[in-house]
Amino acid sequence: MTSTRCAVCKYFRRRCPSDCIFSPYFPPNNPQRFTCVHRIYGASNVGKMLEELPVEDRAIAVETLYYEAKCRIQDPVYGCVGLIPWLQQQLNIAQVQLAKTRAEIAFLYANVAETVAEPILGSTESLFQQNDVVDHGLDERNSWFY
Amino acid sequence: MSSNPSTSSTSGGGGGSGGGGPCGACKFLRRKCVAGCIFAPYFDSDQGAAHFAAVHKVFGASNVSKLLFHLPVQRRHEAVVTICYEAQARLKDPVYGCISHIFALQQQSANVTPKILEGGNVLVGFAAHVLSQGTPVNQVVNLQAELSYFQAHLATLEGPSPQQIPPPQPTTLSPGITINDIQTPTSLLGSYDLSSLLEPMMTPSWNMQPPNRRQIDPRGFMSVGTTRALDMAPSQGSTGDLRELARELLQRPSSVSSMPCKTEDSNLPPHNIRDDN
Repeated sequence: MTSTRCAVCKYFRRRCPSDCIFSPYFPPNNPQRFTCVHRIYGASNVGKMLEELPVEDRAIAVETLYYEAKCRIQDPVYGCVGLIPWLQQQLNIAQVQLAKTRAEIAFLYANVAETVAEPILGSTESLFQQNDVVDHGLDERNSWFY
Repeated sequence: MSSNPSTSSTSGGGGGSGGGGPCGACKFLRRKCVAGCIFAPYFDSDQGAAHFAAVHKVFGASNVSKLLFHLPVQRRHEAVVTICYEAQARLKDPVYGCISHIFALQQQSANVTPKILEGGNVLVGFAAHVLSQGTPVNQVVNLQAELSYFQAHLATLEGPSPQQIPPPQPTTLSPGITINDIQTPTSLLGSYDLSSLLEPMMTPSWNMQPPNRRQIDPRGFMSVGTTRALDMAPSQGSTGDLRELARELLQRPSSVSSMPCKTEDSNLPPHNIRDDN
């Protein structure tokens, strides 16, 4: 038994065992963290999820759960899923901007004398590398969302 | 419990309430689907049960019920959709859930943004170099002005007829691209640190001028010519040195034609900066 109970055991007013699965991730000095998670997921569901994960991944999982819970509390309809279309739109805008910039550079390179353009525009190969798109496995699942 | 077939789609209405079969949620929970079941409009008996299984495993039926209860009816459908998405994403990736998709989008944006800034730096640097760093057009104009001055001075001192000295050939340079054609894009994002991008390639190129341009550097030329002319006139008034100087002046413009960036205009036109914004 730990001398200081974790936030979960404090919330439930119970003794905090030494092998409490929540204690490393819900310190007693931050009760709001567990309150958010418990409100959305429930302590039992969180405990089951943590038990199914290797120890080295639990901290990240708790962070993402906390983030999703906070987003869901702030926006009960969309939660953190509402960020995805907004980010996608920002990415589309950025890609359009990049395409415009590439076109302008190509125009200058094609129309200005090489002795002037080469030293300046010569090292622009990295700008034209087509490696901007990252294939994400969830895209096919998001088709319903758009 | 009635066993009427489901007549609704995955997220549409339907399900059991009253006469119909149980909804997908109640079917999964193996409970009686009462009238006014909060899950019934969103989880039908067929695929709804599978979706609700994921939702129940991640969120729990009571938590979802509370969430939906506190929402207006017209917003519940969207909430169920996003909750189902989050639940399925969490089951697929227990560590990150749907946050992985957000991270992926942020990473894609992070990959694109530096390239935009780099491209903007390139364009800004190019515009600065062409338009503001002693273009060949400036030098040609200065040379012509110098030539006119010394020819006038020669005429004053010697009195020879202007015909003896061939008139300066107008430097009809080949009509290439003009400064007006170089339209600098203004779709730049924020301020650019030119030094970070331009130093490795800009500085050497600007210092590395073609040999012809160094020979026709107006400042160096003017210092020599001025000194010689001033020294000659008051002290000796000899015509030999002045004629030699005139020959030098006449020989200089011929090297201008070999300069790289050539424009047809003798006067510096204001460059057009096309504003894309």
